[in-house]
Amino acid sequence: MAAGIAASSPVVFLAGIVTIVVIQAIPSIRFSGWHFLTSLTWNIGNVYGGLEHEHGVTAASGASFGSRVFIVGTVASSVIALLMAVPVSLLTAVILAYRTRGVVRTILSTLVELLAGIPSVVIGLWGMTVLTPWISTQLGPLLSRAGGVIPYLRGPVGTGMGLLASGCVLAIMVVPIITATTRDLLLQVPTLYREGGVGLGMTDWEVVRHICFPCIREGFIGAVALGFGRAMGETMAVLMVSGNAVNLLPQNLYSPISTMAAFIADQLDSALTDASKMAVHALSELALLLMILTVATNLAARLLVSSGRWRQRRTGVDAP
Amino acid sequence: MKRSMRWICTAAGATGILALVAGCGATTAGHTSGAGASGIDHAADHTAASGGQTVTLTETGSSLLYPLFTDQWIPAYQSVNPGVHLEASSTGSGTGISQAVAGTVDIGASDAYMADQQVSQNPGMLNIPLAISAQQVMYNLPGVRGHIQLTGDVLANIYQGKIQYWDDPAIAAVNPGLHLPHLAITPVTRSDGSGDTFLFTQYLSDTNSSWKDGPGYGTSVNWPPVPSEVAANGNQGVVTTLAGTKGAIGYVGISWLDNAVAKGLGYAALQNKAGNFVLPTPANIQAAADATTGIPKDERVSLIDEPGQHSYPIINFEYAIVNQHQSGAKGTALKHFLEWAIDPQGGNAATYMTPVHFLPLPSKVEPLSRAQIEQIGG
Repeated sequence: MAAGIAASSPVVFLAGIVTIVVIQAIPSIRFSGWHFLTSLTWNIGNVYGGLEHEHGVTAASGASFGSRVFIVGTVASSVIALLMAVPVSLLTAVILAYRTRGVVRTILSTLVELLAGIPSVVIGLWGMTVLTPWISTQLGPLLSRAGGVIPYLRGPVGTGMGLLASGCVLAIMVVPIITATTRDLLLQVPTLYREGGVGLGMTDWEVVRHICFPCIREGFIGAVALGFGRAMGETMAVLMVSGNAVNLLPQNLYSPISTMAAFIADQLDSALTDASKMAVHALSELALLLMILTVATNLAARLLVSSGRWRQRRTGVDAP
Repeated sequence: MKRSMRWICTAAGATGILALVAGCGATTAGHTSGAGASGIDHAADHTAASGGQTVTLTETGSSLLYPLFTDQWIPAYQSVNPGVHLEASSTGSGTGISQAVAGTVDIGASDAYMADQQVSQNPGMLNIPLAISAQQVMYNLPGVRGHIQLTGDVLANIYQGKIQYWDDPAIAAVNPGLHLPHLAITPVTRSDGSGDTFLFTQYLSDTNSSWKDGPGYGTSVNWPPVPSEVAANGNQGVVTTLAGTKGAIGYVGISWLDNAVAKGLGYAALQNKAGNFVLPTPANIQAAADATTGIPKDERVSLIDEPGQHSYPIINFEYAIVNQHQSGAKGTALKHFLEWAIDPQGGNAATYMTPVHFLPLPSKVEPLSRAQIEQIGG
């Protein structure tokens, strides 16, 4: 019985949370319809004015809810984070798996995993006090000068708070996740395969490139997707460095943005002052959208990781 | 067979957890204090059982009022009435209002008064002013000495993207003789819901008609899209952003003034109703507070842009949001605490107000607050 309670708790909690979010989101879905996905404007309306009735639900006068700015901000910052984190993680994992051993490997692996344990508010604080001024005065102008080739690199750079800064702090947070998973995958590649490669006269890099990578490909894609899910759901650090733009899509790499998670954290207090409660419902719909995105990403990631493992089992060679 | 047993166990477990969660919910709702205070609350209950005296009052809401409660009033009230245990937390004005309405806290602290719609939905809620606060407009302009002068109209144009550089003719016109650099303006707003946003946007609405008809005012508003604009979290975030960005301008609560000036920020003299440019000095804030007229009985009123030669234009009441229907010992304790809080010899004394840069209620407002406190009871 006790085991039954313990075993079912994750299911119950997940079901409970999903149910509450869905129920809370329904009035907003009725109020906004598809407009919610396409509109740029998020306006809780004049909460000190009257009420308006539309589609059988009530909202503050002038209210209009559109999440496109937040969807774009969330996806763009997470993609930038992956662009930076994937090469770093991959190379770190190769070094950890094949180039180190014993105490050195343990220490380095632990350090990478410790990076995952840093509270995001600490990374956010660093981003706010060190990273954004540096982007504003050094990195931004530098990239901006090279921007004649790539359009989104062109200035103005502004305060440094925005897409690039958010991508950087997110990259720091997803590197340990991708690195740890990839290192474990690389360690599962049978030694026999690698010895075969060396026997054929391949260099170390060629062994990794032509033998190890094909073996772990699905699993690695899964690891990247796990990192993507983590980046999309991150709240505090992004809140501190993103510039929290509303009603405006990013113009270039340095533009202020908002992500869904950060916006929910920011706006809940004001939403509570809305007598029609529609502002809270709209935030719930945004939460529902974020949940669907992250759950779908995580699910896809898990499927890919497990299918990668399955393929190795099928080849009949056990992990060392 | 085995598998079906396992499923039954799991289902039974799930039902058990659901019942447990539901039970917890019911207990929390019935309890008058927040989850964080539950441990202390137990202790209080214990004392109550043995001594029969201690009452716990909980407060949550405005981050501006929090230092007044936690650093000043709670230690002081401990010696005034040891039988009352006060618990304060800083969550935000909107949370303060909604939790006071829901009955999960006894005092909701808010920089903004409740909207008409909210009051008509919850007729028993009182908005009781406890003190006077103010707000200043701050900027990062290295090399510019003294205080620049700004009007509400100029600020509204900056926050609508119509004025983009510091040497704009509209800014130069109100700062004769001052050399301003050709530097892009970065307007900074609050990203979180905030009483500071409420005050600032009220000042803009009062002084600029297109702002009044457009974004209007509230604890968070629909800011016009300005590409260079950034939003920061909390007064701390605004001060950090201003300090890190040359040419930035933003609005900051008065209790952060010393901190921000130490970081090299300047603050503006704002134009008041009489046309004078005034600084947020205690004397000017007091002048504005004393100039208020026609305060309604429920005291839900804007104090922006009061008349008078020296009146500073952005001041406000800090409110305690309280349900007038209270029972027994708790109601009495709440009443006595609030009476003490607004008393010029009690909580409104300068010893408690000055450290947090608040000013006491004007003598003509105090009786109105007292009359509202009198309504608390069964």
